[in-house]
Amino acid sequence: MRAKIQNAASEPVRSEELAGLDFFRDLADRYLSIEGLEARWVPIQREDLRPGKPDALRLHHLLSLTRAVEETLDSAFRSGHIPGTAFFSRGNEAAGVGSASCLREEEWLVPMHRNCGAHLAKGHPPVSIMAHFFGRAGGPSEGRDGNFHMGYRPKKITQLISHIGTMVPIAAGIAWAAKLQRNGQAVLTYIGDGGTSSGDFHEAMNFAAVRKFPLAVVIDNNQYAYKTPLSDQYACPALALRASGYGVPGFLIDGTDVLLVREVVSRALERARRGGGPTLIESVTMRLGGHSVYDRFTDYVDMEKFKLWQEKRDPIKRFDQYLIEYEVLTPEEIAASHARARREAEEARDAALKLPFPDPAKVAEGVFAE
Amino acid sequence: MSLITYREALSAALWEEMERDERVFLVGEDIGLGGGAFYITKGFQQHFGRDRVVDAPLSEAGFTGAAIGAALAGMRPVVEYQFADFVTEAFKMIVDFAAGNHYRRMGPVPIVLRLPSAALVSGGPYHSVNPESWFFGTPGLKIVAPATAYDAKGMLKQAIRDDNPVIFMEYKKFYNYRPADLPPQLQIDVPESDYTVPFGQARTLREGEDLTLLTFGTSVLEALEAAQVLEREGVSAEVIDLRTLVPMDKEAILRSVKKTGKLLILHEARKRGGVGGEIAALIAEEVFEHLDAPIRRVGAPDCPVPLSPPLEKAYLPGTAQVVGALRELAAF
Repeated sequence: MRAKIQNAASEPVRSEELAGLDFFRDLADRYLSIEGLEARWVPIQREDLRPGKPDALRLHHLLSLTRAVEETLDSAFRSGHIPGTAFFSRGNEAAGVGSASCLREEEWLVPMHRNCGAHLAKGHPPVSIMAHFFGRAGGPSEGRDGNFHMGYRPKKITQLISHIGTMVPIAAGIAWAAKLQRNGQAVLTYIGDGGTSSGDFHEAMNFAAVRKFPLAVVIDNNQYAYKTPLSDQYACPALALRASGYGVPGFLIDGTDVLLVREVVSRALERARRGGGPTLIESVTMRLGGHSVYDRFTDYVDMEKFKLWQEKRDPIKRFDQYLIEYEVLTPEEIAASHARARREAEEARDAALKLPFPDPAKVAEGVFAE
Repeated sequence: MSLITYREALSAALWEEMERDERVFLVGEDIGLGGGAFYITKGFQQHFGRDRVVDAPLSEAGFTGAAIGAALAGMRPVVEYQFADFVTEAFKMIVDFAAGNHYRRMGPVPIVLRLPSAALVSGGPYHSVNPESWFFGTPGLKIVAPATAYDAKGMLKQAIRDDNPVIFMEYKKFYNYRPADLPPQLQIDVPESDYTVPFGQARTLREGEDLTLLTFGTSVLEALEAAQVLEREGVSAEVIDLRTLVPMDKEAILRSVKKTGKLLILHEARKRGGVGGEIAALIAEEVFEHLDAPIRRVGAPDCPVPLSPPLEKAYLPGTAQVVGALRELAAF
């Protein structure tokens, strides 16, 4: 198997081969790299990605904290603490954590609504996330917005709006500012598989490519845009192939492997910082839940596929197994990390629930900057 | 001090602000190499370079969103739409993202959106819009409507220095007017020294006692002409140029209506859903007891802007129509 993949790496991939692409099978040990009009398979050398122990502990903490924060939010929703609705990133934790942990402190993160892991990796405190979800005065929008629409300016995380596609131009513009300010920074943003159908996505990719804005765009392809499957969303074998059309490098990777995501995104950001312009990275995951807390996803999701990904491509289980297999952490250390994450999430919830609600007398304040 | 054209005033404001503040940059279609469809930025790219005078790909949503992003990251972009009509492409970026950002406690968005507005000559349905109604109901946007070269320059500078998104309506019709051809009330010397025009201050173009004619934008011309006709008939009309719609100079409006007791609101935009309706409601709510006649409005009819000259003429609120409404109001 390994030999075959390495052979493939030396030859450009034929389009017939991509036509029958199966994300689960075909991304298991390799990723697709697109440069110009050529796509090549590159084998993944997992030993090369092996993190040191402090690094592994940090990554593991972020992954398990992402899940713990969202599970805590989910139960808080069911207890009636969250006004409105809630979206979670189950299945996408590695993509968020792996990518955003490549950003420097001073660089901007432009997240979407399934990037809780990215928020945490960039330093957004769980208590602030919780306060936001609970509509409290202590949250970053002081109750003006909810769900994952929050930004967190102290850590240079932007807010987002519900309209899908919008944030790619915004991110391109932040990258534009970095270029104008010559500060050597890069910007990271995300879009879903559905969002790639929007005009905004195209307009931003094109503009960023033309002007070489320092930007990495991660397509979180979780195989469903709300209730719409990929077959009704686009006709190309992989969204990453669109990179050729924009004149930028592209990657198609398994987004459930935190180390692989980190490797590919860090290369893209480095390239951007050096003035090489944007990169398009399609990171494939499976949405291990509904679109939102209200979504009866089992009605329409291919549950056989769902169970397969849940079993074999749960990003957190995968990382646990990897760390044990490659003898980076012990099972006891991993269990302790999970327990710590749960404790931190619960403490954050309890602290956020003690915060006051916003003052109704101030409902119309702050529309304009003075 | 000098009399310059509206176009020269806009160019001067942009040039001076770019010289003053390196965070200011321009983006739009055809504004760099070619100097813009209306030549407001002619020669800018040669002086300021390709990074600060950016010919964007044909993608209003994309480059508006990107300009907003740049504003979030500390820049002061000025976006030019070729015609105000095309701002619809970027609507979501403006009303959903930029406008609500500060309210959502996510920081200021200092951006200026330059919208060449209103009818010119047979522009037709897609090159003639008065866009204020599209934005007027959205909190978080300032909306300004300079009608003189003095205001064009001072308000554009003010807009660039403002920390909020500003819808800057500029009037294509005014670009070429030689100052000497304008009514004397609009011949205002434009200082060469730095100055700004604060938002929210209406200007009384002529004092009057019998009725108030409230207007803005291109309609200041018809308003002044009509007031002159009424003067010959012994009716003294006070003409007020609102200058900015958000913020609106409520005090000036109320003061004048209390004095005259009669109000005509005039704008080139359609009457239905127009800003005039909001002003009429304000007057009715706050100073009803001072009114001696029903409030009148003159605006365009309820149809798209037509292209053929006789249709376009019929569509645009002309002086005769304003005179007629003023006479009725005076006689009430």
